[in-house]
Parts: sequence; C-alpha cells; structure tokens
Amino acid sequence: MRKVKFFLTVLSLLAVSFAWAQNITVKGTVTDQNGDPIIGVYVLLQGSTSGTSTDADGKYEISAPANGTLVYSLVGMQDVVMPINNKSVINIVMQEESVVLDDVMVVAYGVVKREAKTGSVTTVSGNAISEAPVSSVDKMLAGKMAGVQITAATGQPGASSQIRVRGTSSINAGNEPLWVVDGIPVMNGDQTYFTNTGNAIATINPNDIESITVLKDAAAASVYGSRAANGVVLVTTKSGKEGKAKFSARAKMGISNLANDNDFGLMTGEELLAYQRDAIVNAGGNPDDPNGRFYRPMSLLDGGTTDWIDHFSRAGKLNEYEINASAGTARSKFYSSLTYHKNEGVFYGVDYEKITFRVNADHKLGNKLEMGVRFNGARTVANDVPMQSLYYSNPMWAGSIILPWSKPYNEDCDHNVNISENSNTNPRATAKYDEQWEKQFRINGNFYLEWKPVKNVTVKTTNAIETTFGEGRRYWHPYTSEGEATLQTSRLQYVQMTTSNTITYSNVFNDKHNVRVLAGQEAMQRDYSSFYAYSPQVDPNIPYPSTAPSDKDYASYSTNERTLLSFFGIADYSFDSKYFLQASVRYDGSSLFGKNKQWGVFYSVGASWNLHSENWLKDVEWLDLLKVRASYGVNGNDNISAYQAYGVYASSQYNGSVGMLPSSPSNDDLSWELNATVNAGVDFGFFGKLNGSIDWYNRTTTDMLLSKSVPQTTGFSSNFMNIGEMVNRGVEIQLNYDIINNKDWKWDAGLNLSFNQTEIKNLGDVTEMTYSGDSRLKHVVGEGMYTFYLKEYYGVNPVNGEALWVAEDGSLTNNYNKARYIYAGSPEPKYTGGFNTSVSWKGLSLSAFLEFKGGNKVMIIESRYCNSDGNQMSMNQYKIAGNYWKKPGDTGVNPKPVAGTASNSYAFASTRWLQDGDYVRIKDITLSYTLPSKLTKKVGVSNVKIYASALNLFTFHDVDFWDPERGVTGIGAGIYPMTKSFIGGIELSF
Amino acid sequence: MKKLLILSITVALFATSCSDFLVKEPKLTQSTEITLSTFDGLNSSIAGAYSPLVSSTWYGPGFVFEAEMRSGNGKKPTEGDFDSGRYSGSYNISYNPSATSGLWGYGYFVISAANNVLANLEGKEGGEVSAQDINNLKAEALFLRALSHFDMVRLYAQPYGYQPNGNGVPVVLSTDPAGKPARNTVAEVYDQIVTDLTEAESIMSDDYKRDGISDYKAAVTKPAVQALLSRVYLYMENWNKAAEYATKVINNPAFELWTAAEYASAWKANVGTSEVIFEVFGAQTNAYDAYWESPMWMSSPEGYADCAVSTDLVNLYEDDDVRNQWQKADGYDHLYWTIKYAGKGVGTPDANNTVVLRLSEMYLNRAEAIVNGASGDAVADLNKIAEARNATLYTSAGKEDVYNERRKELAWEGHLWFDLSRWGKGITRVDYVGDPTNQNVAAHSYMFALPIPKREMDVNENLVQNEGYN
Repeated sequence: MRKVKFFLTVLSLLAVSFAWAQNITVKGTVTDQNGDPIIGVYVLLQGSTSGTSTDADGKYEISAPANGTLVYSLVGMQDVVMPINNKSVINIVMQEESVVLDDVMVVAYGVVKREAKTGSVTTVSGNAISEAPVSSVDKMLAGKMAGVQITAATGQPGASSQIRVRGTSSINAGNEPLWVVDGIPVMNGDQTYFTNTGNAIATINPNDIESITVLKDAAAASVYGSRAANGVVLVTTKSGKEGKAKFSARAKMGISNLANDNDFGLMTGEELLAYQRDAIVNAGGNPDDPNGRFYRPMSLLDGGTTDWIDHFSRAGKLNEYEINASAGTARSKFYSSLTYHKNEGVFYGVDYEKITFRVNADHKLGNKLEMGVRFNGARTVANDVPMQSLYYSNPMWAGSIILPWSKPYNEDCDHNVNISENSNTNPRATAKYDEQWEKQFRINGNFYLEWKPVKNVTVKTTNAIETTFGEGRRYWHPYTSEGEATLQTSRLQYVQMTTSNTITYSNVFNDKHNVRVLAGQEAMQRDYSSFYAYSPQVDPNIPYPSTAPSDKDYASYSTNERTLLSFFGIADYSFDSKYFLQASVRYDGSSLFGKNKQWGVFYSVGASWNLHSENWLKDVEWLDLLKVRASYGVNGNDNISAYQAYGVYASSQYNGSVGMLPSSPSNDDLSWELNATVNAGVDFGFFGKLNGSIDWYNRTTTDMLLSKSVPQTTGFSSNFMNIGEMVNRGVEIQLNYDIINNKDWKWDAGLNLSFNQTEIKNLGDVTEMTYSGDSRLKHVVGEGMYTFYLKEYYGVNPVNGEALWVAEDGSLTNNYNKARYIYAGSPEPKYTGGFNTSVSWKGLSLSAFLEFKGGNKVMIIESRYCNSDGNQMSMNQYKIAGNYWKKPGDTGVNPKPVAGTASNSYAFASTRWLQDGDYVRIKDITLSYTLPSKLTKKVGVSNVKIYASALNLFTFHDVDFWDPERGVTGIGAGIYPMTKSFIGGIELSF
Repeated sequence: MKKLLILSITVALFATSCSDFLVKEPKLTQSTEITLSTFDGLNSSIAGAYSPLVSSTWYGPGFVFEAEMRSGNGKKPTEGDFDSGRYSGSYNISYNPSATSGLWGYGYFVISAANNVLANLEGKEGGEVSAQDINNLKAEALFLRALSHFDMVRLYAQPYGYQPNGNGVPVVLSTDPAGKPARNTVAEVYDQIVTDLTEAESIMSDDYKRDGISDYKAAVTKPAVQALLSRVYLYMENWNKAAEYATKVINNPAFELWTAAEYASAWKANVGTSEVIFEVFGAQTNAYDAYWESPMWMSSPEGYADCAVSTDLVNLYEDDDVRNQWQKADGYDHLYWTIKYAGKGVGTPDANNTVVLRLSEMYLNRAEAIVNGASGDAVADLNKIAEARNATLYTSAGKEDVYNERRKELAWEGHLWFDLSRWGKGITRVDYVGDPTNQNVAAHSYMFALPIPKREMDVNENLVQNEGYN
C-alpha cells in the first residue's frame, strides 16, 4: 500500500512539471485609479509560490499556465484576482483599500479582524488626531473615545494629561493606563525635575501615528498582566507602503490666548478701591485717615492702574513644520519624518520646543525572515515659570493678587520688583531674569525579527531600549532675589529595556475553524537616576555651580531600578465568522513586591457572537451588524514606587554628619492590586448608515494597596498593605451616523457618552481616610474615589450681611468654628463624552468637535484670597467679589466686606468655594480645503490641503474662574488655565 | 532551527536566572537588620536619631513657637504681609484632635530609633569598641528617649504637680509593630524619664563628645543629661533634686553666662557658645530642615513673620536690658520680633540653632527650687542673670520675682506655657488681636493639655482622649 502511495505522489509531481511546460508569458501594467503606475505590486500565481513584482513603471511579466489565475496584491490596495484565460496582456487597475483600518485593529500582540473582537476596545485613526494644534497626542484624545476620560491639570504646552480608562481604580498605586508603542510598553507621565512639562508621550509625533487602540476591559488588556489594570493604550506608528516614494510637507501656525468665556477677571483699580473703601467703612474706619489701620485715599488711582493678568500674559504662538517620506518595494519599506514644534505659552517665560524624528523600516530577508526597526528620537526644551501652586512668581496667581495701583515698571523702565503685596516678586522680572528649564533627549527604538520557519508558525522577537536624558536648571537672579543669586541644577536619566518574544501558530481548518495560539515571554528592566545640586550665592556673572561657596552648596542623588519577568499565552478560536472565543493568561514576576508575593497569575476569557451572520438574520437587509460580546478577566496594578516591600534604614543628615533613620517597615506580603472586570457589550449597524456599540462593565479592585495607618508609637505612621476594595461600574455608548454620503456630499456625526460610578467598598480598619494630596478630600467607604469634606456654608445673613454656617444640629451660626463638616460631593464626573460632526463637499470640509463632562464639583480655592470679604486688603479681588451684601434683604451675594475681618467667612475648607464643574467645550472646529488634483498635478504636487482651525473656541460653564478644568481632584491651585488657539496649516504631498 | 534553538536557550537562561533578575534591593537605604548588626551601624543610627528634633514640628520651631504663641509672649501680626496664615491655631488656642501638635509622631519616631539601638547594643564590644563606647552610645539613646517622653508628656498631659495620676503618654521601651499601648500616668512617665536620665548620667563618660559632627553641643554630653534632669525634677516639684542637678552644671567650669556684650551675637553663632548646654543644630543641609517653616523665617520680618512678640512681653524689660533688643520692620514701629532666631547668615531662608538647655536656666531652676524650700541663695542666682543682662539687681527674691525673671530670660525658648501650667497660673493676654474666644486661659484649664492627634485615636483603641476635646 505504501508503495502505491509513493507512486501516486511521484505521478502527481510529474503532472505538475508537465503543467509548467504548458506555461505562457503574461505581461501587463498595474496602475491606480488615477492611471499612475504602481511599483511593487506582488503578482502571484494562485495556488503556487511563484510570483513577481511590478517595476518602477508598474510593469510585470510572469510565466503562468494559460488556465491559471493571477492574484495582485499590495498593502493598502484591494487585492485583484484575475483568471488568465489565455490572455498574454493583462492590465490591472487597483483600488485603494480605504477600509483597511476598519477591518483590522491592533490588539495586544497582534492584529485581528474587527469582527473577531470579544473584549471592549476603542480605536481612533491617525487622521483624527493629527490636526489638533496641541503639543502631544494624549491631549488630542480628549472626548474622542467612550470610557476614556482625559483631564487637563494644566493648559501649559508640553504637560501631560491625566488619563482615566473607566474611572479610577486605586488610591495609592497609579491610575494611568499602560502605553504600548509598536508592541513595546513605554514610559509615560512627567519625567522632569523643575518644570511641569516632561510629558514622555509628547515626544511621539502625532502625525506618525497610524492608529491608537485603547484596551478597556480585562479580555482585551489582561495579557499585559500586572500592568493592565488601568487599561492599555496601543499606539501603532506608520510604516512605509509599497509603491513609489511619497513626500509630504506640513506647516502649521497659530496663536493662542487665555480662555475666558464668562468674562471672569479681577477688579479694576476703581472697582477695588471702591470695594476696599466700603470695607474700611464697614470696619468702622476711615479710608481717608492716613493714620488709620487701612489708608485708601482716592489719590491711589492718580498714578494709573494696571491690569496685571493682561500685563503677565501675551498671545501664545504655535509653529510646527514637518517633512516626511515613505517608500517601499516588495521587500523593503520605510517611513521617516522630521518635525519641529514650538509652542510659546500665553505667559511670559513659558515655552515648549521639540524636534522629533522617526525612522520605521521593514525588510524581508527572504521568504521566511523579516526584520524591522522603529526608531524615534526627540529633543525637547521646556522653559517654565513656577506654576501649579500659589507662588508669588506664578503669573496666574501674582496677576490675581497684585494691587491695580502697584507699578509694573520702575524708574529705570525695568520690571518693578518692589511690590510688597506680592513679596517683592514680579513674574515679568522672573520671566526675564530667572531661569527654569528642562532640556531632554528621548530615544525610543525597537528592533524586531520575524521568522516563519514553517507554514502557520511565526516566531518574533522584539527588543527595545528607551531612554530619557534630562538636564534641568533653576536660577534665581539677583534682580529678583534681593541681590543674591541662587542656582539649582539637575540631571536625570531613565533607561528602560524590554525584550518581547512570541511564537504564534494560526491556521484555518475546513474553512471554518480559525485557530490562533500565541506563547510569549517578556523581560523588562527600568533604571532611574538623578542628580541634583543646590548652589546658593553663585557669582551672577558666572552663574554655575562652581562659583558657589564650597561650604554652602550641596548635592543629592537618587536612583532606583525595577524588573519584570513575564510568560504569557493567548488562544483564539472562531467558527465560521459567527462564534468567537478568546482566552489569555499571563504569569508576571516583579521586583517591586514582597518576597512572599513576587509572582502572580492573570487571565481572561471572552466570547462573542455575530448574530448577523446567522442564516435566520441574513435576509434582514437593514441589519449590517449585530454582535454580542461578554468577557471576564483579572489583571493587576503594579504602579507603585520601588522598594516599598523592604524594611530599611535611610540616611538622614544632621549636624554635619550623615546618620541612619528607620525609613520603612518591611512588608514581605506586599503585592499588586487585582482588578476583575466583567464586560458585556453589543455592536450594531443598521441601514448602512448607523453603527455603534454599547458596553456595560463592572470592575472590582481588590487587594487595593493602602497605606494603613498604624499607631505612631510603633515608630511608623503607616504600612503599605493590600487591604482595600473598590468598584467601578458604568455604561459606554458610541454612535456614528452617516447622514449623507454621495459623490459630492458627505455628512456624518458621532457621539460617545460614558457613565462611570466609582465606589469605595473597603478601606481596611477605617471607613474614611484623608486624600494624601489635600486634606479637603477624603476617600469614604460607600462614596466615590474622592469626596469633598468641608464646612457647610449657608450663605449671607440677609439681616446684617454676615456669613452664616450650618452648625452640627442644623441651626445657623455666624461662628465658623461651630460649622459642621459635610460630605459635599465629588470631583469625579458622572458622565463624560464627545460629539463630532463633519460635512464635506468635494474638497471642502468642515468638522466640529464638542467635549462635555458633568456631575462633578470643582473647588476654587483661590477665592479664599481673591473673594475674601475684606480679609485680604493687600490683594486684588475677583470682580465677582463686588457682588456683596449692601442692604438688609440682600441674599445670594457675598458677605459684607469688612476690612481686616477675621470672621473666617473666607475659610479654607468651606463649601462656599465649591461649584458645579459641568461644561460643554467646543473643542475644535476645522475648515479644510483640498485643492483639485487636476490643478495641483500640473505643478507636480499630488495633494494640497489647507486648513484653519480653532481649539477651545468656546466653553459653556458656570465656574467662577477662567476655565472649569481643575484636574482629577477638582482642586488645582494657581493653575495655568486652558487656552484658546487659532491655527492655520498647509499640507503638501508629492 | 538553529535560531529557534538560540531563542529557546535565551528564554531558558532568563527562566533560570529569574530569581536574581527579580531581586532589586534598595541602594540608597540599608536593611534594618544590617543597620543594627554592627556598632558602626548603631552609632550612625543614633546620629540619625537626632535629626527629627530639628523638624518644623519640634525644635525647628513648632513645639517652641506654638507654646510662645499660646502663652502670651507671641502675637500674630495682621499688618502688611506678615500673616501667612501660619500659627493661627496656636495663637487662638483653637486646638482639636484633628488640628493639634504633630509632636506625637516625631517623639515616638525618635523613641523607636533609640529603642532599636538599645535593643541591639549587647555583644557589640570588642576590637576597637570598648565597653565605655557602648555605654556612651547607650546614654545618648537613653537621653533621646527621655527628652522625647518629656516633651510629649508636658505637651499632651496636665502637669505633674496638678494631676500626677492623670493620663500621661504611653511609655514605649521597645519597638513592637503590632503594639497599641495605653497611656501611662503622668507620674509613671516622669519616673521612666528619671530612670533613663539617671542611668545615662551614671554610665556616660564625663568628657564624652560625639565625633564627626559640626556642633558637639547639639549632641548629648553628661552636662546635658544633668541639666535635663534638673528641669525634669523641677517639673516634678522635687526641689532638692532640681537644685542639686542645677548646681552640678553651674559648678562645671565649661559653662559661663554670656556677657551683656556677647548676648545679641550669641544667638547667631553657628555652634553652641559658652552658655549653651544642649541645642538643636540648624542648617539647610539637615534632612529635617524646616526651610520656609524654619524658626528664622517665622520670626523675622524678612520672612513669613507670623510670630511676632506681644508688647505684654516687651514691656517687662527695662530700657537698657540687653534682652530688650528686637527685630523691626520699616514702617511698623509697633511690631517686634525676637532676635533669638535671627539667623547664622548661611542662606535664604537662613538657619539658626534652637537652644534647648542653657546655663541661665540652671540658675533659674535653682532659684525656683530655693524659693520653694530647697537650700541656697535665690537672690544671688537671680542677680547672676540680671548682672549679665544689664538689668537692675534684685534685693529680695520671692516666687513672683523668680517667675518674672524666668519669663524674661527664657522668652521665645518654649518655657512660659509649661511654666504657667505647672505654676497653676492662668494666662491673661492684653496685647492680643486674635479670636477672642480663648484670649485668656483659666488656671488648670483643660487647654493646658493639648489633644491627642485624632489619627492616633483612630488606630489605637487603648488611648483615651484628653478632657475637653471629645
């Protein structure tokens, strides 16, 4: 029997050889829709491995059986399948594969067909993010994706945003998602010493991004194991495409200014003087008495007044220029770009400059081996002034408190630094003379090798190095610092190395059973070190550390390292494009945790069902898509600082010697926080026009790391333990509607909306704890992540204009000390979302994007000083302070101002400063025009697009401040508010 | 296939070395076991145990300045930009369990650092390390434990003479991570303080000075132990012992009162001068340096200047008294700030030492002991001070004279509040601009014992809160 088989095999081989003998030569040209030849199109004889590629003129020649079939393929174009039918010339017109991004999506360790998803993921394509006039990609995502909340803590260019995927899961570990760029987890957040602007993600050029996928639920993210709890942001950068070389150039220019849509601001000199004179009279004084406690004669206005916010701010400027090139053949592809970006802030002394370049190259070393490089380099220079706190040198704060009749310039026409109410600090002088900057190099490169040793098996190794090198300087010039020059300098360095190795087997059995199995291993090491030198009394002519007196300068050093070792696997199975199953498991070991709990297992399972593919729904014509999904998974949060498991003594300098002090108690059981997520969702599409998805989730954090208070009699205040529990649950809705779609007209609209509720379930021994960052916020069991804990302000007493408080028994009192504390709401929004629409007619398109948020409280703590009822007589006051009690019967106004009052009506922890933070922001309106290619072709340009856009055009809100955003805690202080920008740009492609 | 083999080997290598790969020990800190295993480690643990004393909560200067602001020596200016909002709780005496002194945490931190050393001294002698080296180190640890207990018991409890069996603070003699100690009585705390200090005195060498530090008077010496014992006995109203220990220091030729000419500059010295017995060393290089909260920045019109001096105190001095020197601000003639923290000239904000024990206190301790029955010449002791300060000499010495001289001499060093408390006197503040609720404090008021911090009450159910704060 064996012999017979062997014989038949030989026979069939002969038959194949015989068939070759019947070959004819087929020639032809492949062109695109415009008639341009396409280089590098792969022409393959179906059912064989023989093939060729088109040359620079789009021509090919292949020897093939006269009855064979040719397949023409090229990434980015739709495949063409053409039977030869004895023809010797076959010319092909290929269509661009415009739907490529919709069909497949980047997921953890691979790409899957969109229809195969089982978990909750959201994607946004590169086009949607590249036009916004901001400095970094995280800012561009705001409002774009359901369930992904981006909060700005500051409007300063180059600063990072706070990103929360499906709420906040942790009190003491991080809440930021994991960022994965081209398959490798990267560092994110602020990496800086003196400035606010070390956003590591900002060094990715938004135009280089092909797509962003956010993995929201456990099924999608769990394969990232101990780092997946806050979701995963997958960024894929562009690769070159086969075809002739393409060049494009972009330029973008814009201006920005302080957003102020509610006409908020400070009092003018006249208003403040009238207010203060009233307050003095109310205090029983005489404003015109030179010997009185407060002397505020009308003559104060004689020397003129200054609008200080105006004096400290300017029109910000944005400039961005980019060139990029890409090309490819069947074997090699590359994409490269070079960008220069400069954003001058709306305050003097604030700017952010970066140069980035990228090279992405891929090369096939044969039929089985492919290699490639993703390399991104960036240089950033950030200049800064002290922001984000109520510093005298913070222009936002100084501009609020300096009295209008103080002088901006001195007799020498230089900036006046003799401003006693602002501690003799003038931010314009600070901007001119002082320095505060950070200069960084960031390099992120990875190299991969992909090998297909046998059919259906792919082995891939990716190895990456990412590094940040930063140099910082803060210099106080004698002019601003009472004659003394003080210097601080810093160096910092982060290095992260990752190796990621996977082996994948995928196959299709009987045309219906799709199987993919992946096994992988990863190892990561991250090292950090920084060096800081304090050099007082340096020589102002040589302001460097070497001139500081040697007995007064000092230096400090910091370092830490962390490692992670992982083994993981993914299995996918689908049947007939109807039923999909997915499971993943990861085994992570981390250096961050106690020796008893170093290794953990994380896993997920998910399933989905394409109902529209079932026979009984196939005939329903209006139904394009109906899919139900469900998943469950457990992943971890390892986002804590290094060495917390160790009981250690740390050095402590005192009295000229360095001693040792107990620093932390040991904790051998310290482990990651666990997140278990259940997700159920439905995807739908109707009438070819409306599509969308709805997801429901419940995400439970257990083993939450809490700094458990211990009696201080033990020598420590707290110990870090895995004791807490928290739940996030919510619903996310995403809808897109193609309203009109014909040859000339296109109009579509999209809406995303998410509702998330966070509830703390367990805090260990206690039912509430104070938020470590601000005592006015608490973490309370049964409430959200943050709850304002404030004394209850009632309002003004209509009889006498005094501030009234609610006492413990509910009665009213004018004594602040008797006021009761209440839980006064949360800074977490109940809902967030975005709305976008775009209309285009031929080459002209207009798009608008709105972002909204609501149900959250914000606290305007600056009002304590700038709406102080007369307490702060040496500070300017907000215009709204002028709305105060004037006569019996007045209600809903500020208390009667009394000069020098100590009534505590302006107290620090009061509900008086709490406001609803709801807003609707017209985030972006862009008008663009693509010139007809007939025209541009004549001058050798294939595509010209010009556009103008407005960012943060208008914000509807009721907050008594320039802008309603105040970070995730809703408090913020002295923040750099959002700015409004108008930009214009041009893009040329060759 | 070769490549796959290499890959598998790489993976295998990772797997086998993973236990090492995942062990990343801290580099800038040292494990507790290693630190406490050698004499050098123990010695640097004591050097480190001093460092929290300079924190803004304790001698740098919260513990001292809050007492001054409560007692009537301090005044919180409302003029100009002298009110940064700091020290209003102490000035208004508006303490509650959520807003009280944080000394509890720092005190027990130092006690635990000292206890860790005391528990590991055994068997460390040998080689270069003599039995006396061990004893000196032990004496330092005992002093630090005693000083911490003492500062806490006088802050959080009623005075010994008033309620010896009332609630003191927990006496903690060993580190127990699970410990939830109850409060000992005031008398039990004082007994332990005396036990620790007496033992320290008996084992420490007469001439011991800690090596390798800038200011040896900012570390424990035998006279420092004796001087603290004098004060502890004074607080216990053990007049003979108070006088006996004061005399030991007074008779020590190493100490001399500053002359009138030296007086003002002595407060700016970098290291302790003739009169200083024990002090806390100020420098921006200190790990616990209070920086913008430093004594100098709080009490200088150049700084935040929240802690000015009341005219109640200013008016006590004669014109020529060298203690009648103040810092002033242009245009604010009616405001005064103490010169005792005027700074050493080492940066902005400047640093200064906080004197804890000095010779003039020993004369005052002895004079007070004498007017209460111990033997000796109180007039001579008071005149020793009056003479050095350019003040009129005393011809007789009653309790009020001693009290008055003690206030004048030790003002702004954190004494008056505790003195008034143990003297059973109330507080009357005339030059006062704060919240009128607690302007004056009755004798033996509950307010003389500050509330135990709420965070501590929350985690240790064995503690009882002080009267008046529930």
